[in-house]
Amino acid sequence: MRYSYTKPRKKSIFTPELKLALIFFIITLGMLFLTYGFLSFKDFSFQSQKAEMIEKRFDLGEAIEEMKAQIALINKESLLGERITTQNSVLKDSITNLFDLIPQRITLSEASLLENGLILHGITPNKDIYNFMLQAPLRSIFHKTYSSFYPLSNGWLRFVSTNYIEDDSFENNITDITEEKALEKEGEDEN
Amino acid sequence: MFGSLYLKVFVNIILKRSETTVYIELFSNKNIIKNIEETFTTKSINEKMLDFILEYTNESPFYYISILDTSSAQGAIPTCSKNQIGIFHDVTSSEHRCFKEKWSYFTSREDLYALEKTYKPIGIDFVFSPFVMLAEFFKDKIDSHLAMFILVEEKYLSLAVFDKSELLFARHMDVQKRRDEEALLVYDEKAEELHSYLDEGIDLEEINPIDELEFLDDFADIADLDALEEIDEFADSQDLEEEFYQDQIQESKGTLSEGFNEDFQRFLLIQSSVKRFYLEDKYKSIFIESVYIADGSGVSQDLKRYLEEEMFLSVYVRKIDLAQQVCELAKAELNS
Repeated sequence: MRYSYTKPRKKSIFTPELKLALIFFIITLGMLFLTYGFLSFKDFSFQSQKAEMIEKRFDLGEAIEEMKAQIALINKESLLGERITTQNSVLKDSITNLFDLIPQRITLSEASLLENGLILHGITPNKDIYNFMLQAPLRSIFHKTYSSFYPLSNGWLRFVSTNYIEDDSFENNITDITEEKALEKEGEDEN
Repeated sequence: MFGSLYLKVFVNIILKRSETTVYIELFSNKNIIKNIEETFTTKSINEKMLDFILEYTNESPFYYISILDTSSAQGAIPTCSKNQIGIFHDVTSSEHRCFKEKWSYFTSREDLYALEKTYKPIGIDFVFSPFVMLAEFFKDKIDSHLAMFILVEEKYLSLAVFDKSELLFARHMDVQKRRDEEALLVYDEKAEELHSYLDEGIDLEEINPIDELEFLDDFADIADLDALEEIDEFADSQDLEEEFYQDQIQESKGTLSEGFNEDFQRFLLIQSSVKRFYLEDKYKSIFIESVYIADGSGVSQDLKRYLEEEMFLSVYVRKIDLAQQVCELAKAELNS
């Protein structure tokens, strides 16, 4: 039964001192949890970044290996290209020289360049012109020279000249020429 | 929820004439741990009193500050019905509560606010009416007796007439304040009567012969006094238990007659109240034979003598520790 005119004030265990202490502890705990959360997040972030980096490094390693292989291949290709270029220039020079060798009075109808030889088809007014003016320079170039003549109706002769260079000497020639060319090129680059 | 784990501190304030008594009880698990009482020379609250109260209230968040209402505009009404309350008192500016659905007690709302304002530094949880205290203190008598019950404080007098727990009449009086008004009224009435007699003299011619004395014939039957059962009944009406209690008080008290003036003042107030109870029609008038006094200020034997000799009442005085009683009310209120 109620006796009093007034209602008692609400009583709480949370006195101002206790409230202050609780607020202090709550803030402290909150800050600790926040710090813990922040550090956990950072740790997780670093771990994931680390894993990513490791993966990237591995990928880059693979890429480097691949690139190294590519560089080696390109170097090989470059060497091959240079070799082909040298060969081509040698061939070009040879052809130029060949045509320079051909005297005015001899007419070439066919020329076949072989790897280690040269086959010429043509007509000549006589054998002497051929022998002195064409065969002599050909012999100075090739090791083996074979000539065969067929008489034509107008008195001229059709000839087939087959010339061969021995394998070793051909390769040596080619190598010498290539090296010379390479040296020349290096000298140009340095300049 | 955690209330039972904590110490409960009951601070009980009793305002006296020029000082304030503070009774503090530290209560835990239905046991009184400590109780202390201190009196301060202030009518409101001074620094010393504040320090004393704070010293104990700081021990627990569950502290309750109770005070016995001192409003002069307080009282009790013999009804709880809202329609009938207005007949006895205008409660528009009062705070009122119903006691056990039988009667109401009220106090001035303005005085309640003033009380709350005065004790703002410590706050007030409970404000108890002296009538409630009276009803609780004489619970054993009120439930079974027709009598007048009076709570005597140093400054106030709370008077109530109960007929087997039914309130018939109640009045709260300031002993000092009403001294002049009430006492003079009584004296004026007596003086007027005396003067009129002296002025007019007694005109024997005006005195009517008593013709209606026939009823005295009925006293012829008085001779038949052998059946004295009624006398036994009269003897039963005396509260023997209370008389035994009175004797003990008298023995301990001796025959001191201090506070003569105050007791006479109180007697006059009681007399005027009884007169009012008998005269006013709105109160159910029943003849009062006994009066139970809860003595909270140490009344002298004179008051008892006045009441017995002048008003022919059977007077029983019980000492009451107001502060402890306020504390009991606070506990009861909390447990309700």
